[in-house]
Amino acid sequence: MKFIKYLPVAILLVFFVSCKPKTKSMQVPVVGFVDAFEDATISQARKGFTDALNKNGFSEEKKTVQIEYSNAQGDIPTLTQIVNHFVTDSVNLLATCTTLSTVTALQKTKHIPVFAMVSPTAERMKVVDASGKAPTNLFGAVEELNYIDTSFSIIPKLLKPKGPKLVIGMIYNQSEPQSADALNRIKSLAAGLNVDIVALPLNTSADAQLVTQSLLGKNIDAFFANPDNTVFASFETILKNCNQKNVPIFTSEAGLVQRGAVAAFGADIYQWGYQAGEQAAQFLKTHKTDGLQPEMVKIRKRVYNPAAAKKYNITIPPNFEPVK
Amino acid sequence: MDFYLTALLQGLCFSAIALGIYISMKIFNIPDITTDGSYTLGGVVTAVLLTNHQPAYVILPAVILAGATAGALTGIIHTKLKINALLAGILVMTALYSVNLTILGRSNLPLINLPSLFTIVNVVGDPNQNTFWILAIFVIVITVLIGYLLKTDFGIAMRATGNSESMIRSLGVNTDRMKITGLALANALTALSGYLVAQFQGFADISMGIGIVIVGLGSVIIAETLINWFKLTSVWLSLVLVLAGAVIFQLVLAFTLSVGVDPKLLKIVTAGFVLVIVSLPRLSLLRSS
Repeated sequence: MKFIKYLPVAILLVFFVSCKPKTKSMQVPVVGFVDAFEDATISQARKGFTDALNKNGFSEEKKTVQIEYSNAQGDIPTLTQIVNHFVTDSVNLLATCTTLSTVTALQKTKHIPVFAMVSPTAERMKVVDASGKAPTNLFGAVEELNYIDTSFSIIPKLLKPKGPKLVIGMIYNQSEPQSADALNRIKSLAAGLNVDIVALPLNTSADAQLVTQSLLGKNIDAFFANPDNTVFASFETILKNCNQKNVPIFTSEAGLVQRGAVAAFGADIYQWGYQAGEQAAQFLKTHKTDGLQPEMVKIRKRVYNPAAAKKYNITIPPNFEPVK
Repeated sequence: MDFYLTALLQGLCFSAIALGIYISMKIFNIPDITTDGSYTLGGVVTAVLLTNHQPAYVILPAVILAGATAGALTGIIHTKLKINALLAGILVMTALYSVNLTILGRSNLPLINLPSLFTIVNVVGDPNQNTFWILAIFVIVITVLIGYLLKTDFGIAMRATGNSESMIRSLGVNTDRMKITGLALANALTALSGYLVAQFQGFADISMGIGIVIVGLGSVIIAETLINWFKLTSVWLSLVLVLAGAVIFQLVLAFTLSVGVDPKLLKIVTAGFVLVIVSLPRLSLLRSS
C-alpha cells in the first residue's frame, strides 16, 4: 500500500495543473458563459458568441474581456451552483446556452442581464409573469416554432409517397419542452398537408437504434429529425439505419444536414450564438440595456446535402444552397 | 462567501435525500434506485401544486405521500414478488418517468414569481440568509423526527432487520412489512429533497433526478467514513454526520468551481477531492500503524 502515501500529492498535482489562473481585474468586463451539457453541435453557439464579441473588440487575447466558461455536463445541481457562482461573483453579464441554463439563470438573478441562445421564447419557457411580461433581464436570441412550418412543408414538395398518403416518421424527446412542442406543431401541420405522422419518443441516445428501427418498420417515406439533444447525440445511428432502408432524412437545423440529412430550413446554431454575442457586445460597450430585448433568430438557412440528395434522386429547389 | 452560502443551502436541500439513502442503504442494506424517480416526483408534485396556488400545508403532505407511495411500491415488488431489490427499484424508477411527465404535463416547469417555502416568513432581509434559517429549521425538524423514530421499538426493530433478518424474524417481527415501511420512509425523505430543491433552484425538470442517487450515496459514504473514524455508535451523531456529508459534497463542488477548474476536468477534480476526504482517516491510520 505504498502508493497510497503518494495519493494526496498526485491529486494536488492534478488540481494545480487543472487550475486556470484567475485574474480578477476591475477594468475588464467579465462574462459568465453557462453551458448545460457537452455537445458538438450545440458548442457552435459558444463559438459564434465569442466570435461576435471578438469582432466588436472584446477578445480574451487582447485582455479586453474575460469569458468565464462553465459546463454542467448534464447535471442540474452543478448547473445551479455554476449560476450561483457567477451571480455572487457579480459578473457583468450571463451568456446562457440552451433552455435549462437560461431558465436557471433567470431564476437566480433579476439584475444581471442574461443573454440567451439556443433557447425558446419566454412564453415557451414559461418564465413570463402573471401579466404576460418576460423577465426584464432577459436578452439574446430566441426562437419560436414558426420555422418548423417551412422546414416541414418542403417534404411533401420534394417527395412522392409510396402509398396513397405520405407517411413521415419522427422522434422527439419528452424531456425537452421545445421538442414536445415541435411535435404538436407538426401534428397540426400534417393534417393540412395530407400527411400521416408516426412519432415515437426517444429520451436517451442509448435507445436510438431500437426506436429508429421500430419507426422504419412502419413503412415511412421520410424521416423528420427534430433537432433536440438526443437527436444531436445519436444522429449517426439514425442516419445509418435510414440509409439502409433508403429513407431520406429532413430536419430544421443546418448542422444535421452537414452530418447527412437531405435538406433543412432553420436556424444555424453558430449564427444563433453570434446574434446573442452581438447583443452582449452592445451591452458591454454602452453598459446599458436600453434598446435591447430578446430578438427572434434572424439568420435561417435553406441548405441541402448534395450527396444525400443525389442518393435519393431528390431535385432541390434553386433557393437552397449546398452545405459546406 | 455568499457563493459558499448558496452551496451550503444546496447541501441542506440534499440532506433529506442523504437521510433517505442512509435508511435504505445503511439500515436495510438495500441499494434503492427508486431515488432517481421519487426525487423528481417530489419536485414535480411541488411545482404543479405551487403553480395551482395551493397552500404550503397541502403541498408538504402531498409530497411526502407521493414519495412514500413510490417507496412502498418498490418494497412490495421486492418482498411480495421476491424480485431483486435493485431491479425492483429500477422498475419503479423507470415507471415514475412517465408518471412524472404526466403530472408535470411538460418537461420543465419554472416557478418564477411564485411564493415558496423560502418566502413564507422573512426572518432576515437577505434572501439567502432567510432561506438558510428556514432550511435549517426544516432539516432539524426532519432529523429530530427520524432520530426519534430510530430510537423507538419500531426503529430498533427496523435497524435489526438490516443487521440480521433471520434473527429478527424468529422474534416474531414481520420483516416484509418492515422493509416496505422503511423504503416508504426513505423515499418520502427523498421526495422532500425534491420538494426543497425545486423551490431552491426555481424550477422542476423531468431530468432533475438523473444520477441524484450518487449525491445521496456520496453523502452517506462520506458520513460513514467519519462514523468509522470516530468509532461512533450514537444514532444522533450518525444522522448529523449524514447531514454534514450532504453539505460537504456540495461544498466540494463549490470549491472546485470557485478555483476555476477547466470545465472538462470538473468531475474528475470533484471526485478527487471527495477521495481525499474519505481516504484521509485511512492515511492517518496507516501512518500511525
